[in-house]
Amino acid sequence: MELKRVVVTGLGTVNAAACSAAEFHHALRAGHCGIGPVSVFDPTDFRTQTGGEVRDFKPRLMLPRSISLKRLSRSDAMAMVAAIEALRDAGLFPLPDHLLPEIGVVIGGGAGGMLECEAVYRDYLLIAGKSPAYSSFAFFGCASSADQIAIQLRLMGPKTTFMTACSSGATAIGYARDLVQTGAATAIICGGTEPLCRITYSAFNSLQAVDPQYCKPFDKNRQGMSLGEGAGVMILEELGHALQRGALIYGEVLGYGVSCDAHHMTSPDPEGGGAVLAMARALEDAGIGPEAVDYINAHGTGTPANDKIETKAIKHLFGRRAYEIPVSSSKSLTGHTLGAAGAIEGVVSLLAIHHKFIPPTIHCTTPDPDCDLDYVTEGARDAALKIVLSNSFAFGGNNTALVFGKFCEGGFDNE
Amino acid sequence: MNRRVVITGVGLVTPLGIGKTAFMEHLFSGGCGIRPISLFDTKGFASKAGAEVLGFTAKDFIRPASIRRMDRLSQMIAAAARMALDDAGLAIDEHNRDQVGVMLGTCFGGTDVAAQFGKVLFSEGPRRVNPILVPNTVMNAPAGHVAIELGVRGVNTTVNHHEVGAETALTYAAAQIMRGRVDAVLTGGGDILSEFFFNVLSHFRTLSPQNGEAEGLRPFDVRGNGTVVGEGAGIVCLESLEGALARGVTPYCEIVGWGLSSAPSLPIGWPTDPAGPCLAITRALAVADITPGDIDYICSSANGGPRLDRLEADALQQVFRMAGQGPRITALKGALGESLSSGGMRTAAMALSLRHQKAAPITGLHEPIADLNFVRVPETQGSIRYGLINGISSGGTFVAVIFKKIE
Repeated sequence: MELKRVVVTGLGTVNAAACSAAEFHHALRAGHCGIGPVSVFDPTDFRTQTGGEVRDFKPRLMLPRSISLKRLSRSDAMAMVAAIEALRDAGLFPLPDHLLPEIGVVIGGGAGGMLECEAVYRDYLLIAGKSPAYSSFAFFGCASSADQIAIQLRLMGPKTTFMTACSSGATAIGYARDLVQTGAATAIICGGTEPLCRITYSAFNSLQAVDPQYCKPFDKNRQGMSLGEGAGVMILEELGHALQRGALIYGEVLGYGVSCDAHHMTSPDPEGGGAVLAMARALEDAGIGPEAVDYINAHGTGTPANDKIETKAIKHLFGRRAYEIPVSSSKSLTGHTLGAAGAIEGVVSLLAIHHKFIPPTIHCTTPDPDCDLDYVTEGARDAALKIVLSNSFAFGGNNTALVFGKFCEGGFDNE
Repeated sequence: MNRRVVITGVGLVTPLGIGKTAFMEHLFSGGCGIRPISLFDTKGFASKAGAEVLGFTAKDFIRPASIRRMDRLSQMIAAAARMALDDAGLAIDEHNRDQVGVMLGTCFGGTDVAAQFGKVLFSEGPRRVNPILVPNTVMNAPAGHVAIELGVRGVNTTVNHHEVGAETALTYAAAQIMRGRVDAVLTGGGDILSEFFFNVLSHFRTLSPQNGEAEGLRPFDVRGNGTVVGEGAGIVCLESLEGALARGVTPYCEIVGWGLSSAPSLPIGWPTDPAGPCLAITRALAVADITPGDIDYICSSANGGPRLDRLEADALQQVFRMAGQGPRITALKGALGESLSSGGMRTAAMALSLRHQKAAPITGLHEPIADLNFVRVPETQGSIRYGLINGISSGGTFVAVIFKKIE
């Protein structure tokens, strides 16, 4: 099997900090925090009331007339907006007919259409004899986002949806990279999407995993995550195809690694074994050593356990060099967007490579002896990055690490 | 780099029986797992039948401490995974635990747990919900539980894409082994027959009976009037051929190719044009480097729903039209019901068919909708060199996987 090189030619995102990839670049540079009061549902009765909500989301104004919003949940609409932005960015919208059999879509999902279905679900669970408005179950599952993108764009390539909680989006990118690498598709629209909704919000609150104010990754006084929502999508394209049509190349997907803690359903392995394994496999897949990594976009949720264990895992893998590698958490700006997080952070990684900067960790002001790496707390930094590692760890012990590289014609080693 | 991928173990928790021996006995003799639903009250519904897993005792397969942490789906999948691992004779230890993965497909996951959680949230408020339930409300819970139960830390993921999650996970798993990223993967999936899912399908008029006719699942039959819900889990153990041989294990069969495609469709319906499923099958044939005439046996997706069965019959006629009498075609959902993520059970059945050289007859087919070579009665002898699993999901997603007899 001849393996092809896979590059990123388009980016799109909607999240609490920005409504496009271009806007996101500026938000990351400025350290703009998108976390604030939740308004998509009434949070009064909940333990906390803040989150990374996409405010004033008006998909109709962001999409061409040819794209219908009929039967799209908020989650689907965010994925669609990010997908169309990424395609336009790649110069692939509208898609030429001859490419349709060669283009697929892979999405990492989370709560899917749960925000809209909650009312129906409530009626179903509580009101015996009353027939709920079942029609919204058409987009109940998180597979609906990939379906809508493929159906509306008339794609005939591979299509699927991953649901591995907080690593869904990263796994979707890894799998999409495999598909293009092995020739199963010429290009894949891939990423993740996640809506804020009551069920998820109450679930994380019941686990006491949410900071009532805003998340403070790697800070000594961190109390948990901020739940967020949004979508991140990128166009992965076979290198030869991208070069032939003169596409702008943001970077290359060099490798990824997936592992499982096999420890506990909601608590990470205190030794960080699964996290180390995912990062090590990602580097191995990319064919590079730990010394090549210039920046780590951390999972960095802001929970006491994650940030401590992720730090430990980075030190375990990188040894003394861990202290020289900038590590930052974009979740301090966007909140934790769960199923979308890995994809949004993939977008961050590529923006960082393309625009030559390291995004900061904000709200991290009090040093924690357990978190003693360079978390880029003073603000964004200019830096020419060649290799970026992006971590996503999830409930169920599902870990995924992605390695992105600056595109070099001769390959990374030959530059 | 290009290692050959084989199935070395199967595990089954199904309406046709628990474990491969019981399953196989009913599978090859034309048994049927469809009975009146006992899990919940069907009063007020036209549909009364379902294919339930009966006589499943989790403690026969899973540690008691783990059982209470798992929802019913996780228990069924973990039990099937344990069986597949034992059937493969693969022991997990410190040395190989990072080289063994879990890759599953499920459509609804633990919906019963999500319902329990939601009920408290919506009736008593967000401060009264039970955090113990949270881990089992996510779709990747079964894969996480299996990893913990078996102690395996290799690649672990969950595909959540309608009816083809398990088939997609299988192809992804095979690629991982082919590329040498892991040595073994427990792959497949399952779904449970939940009251909630039954309600939704009833509302969308997916279930038999429709049009005032008798209830029943009749795959590829002119009187097909909807499907019958089912449940169950099927897991296979995938390994590299060299790994299996090194352990002195004779595999069930080899996985030699697969194809993935999609096609425009209604979001929860089926396309009418067979171009999508044809594309997946022809892609799989190209990867396996064989022709349609080489395929001897097909395990279809047909579930008694007229639109799905018509689409699949059209696709099979189109791809295999030039292949003489054509491959024998079965439809296991006639016996297993529509359990959504049925790909794990169907893959295990394919492995058994290739090892025992027997095709499974279709339960419920009387008057075919197409002139295809359907398996109508139990076979006393047959020959299967190449088998194909055809995966079709609502919303227009297609996965075809080709298996080869070990020679």
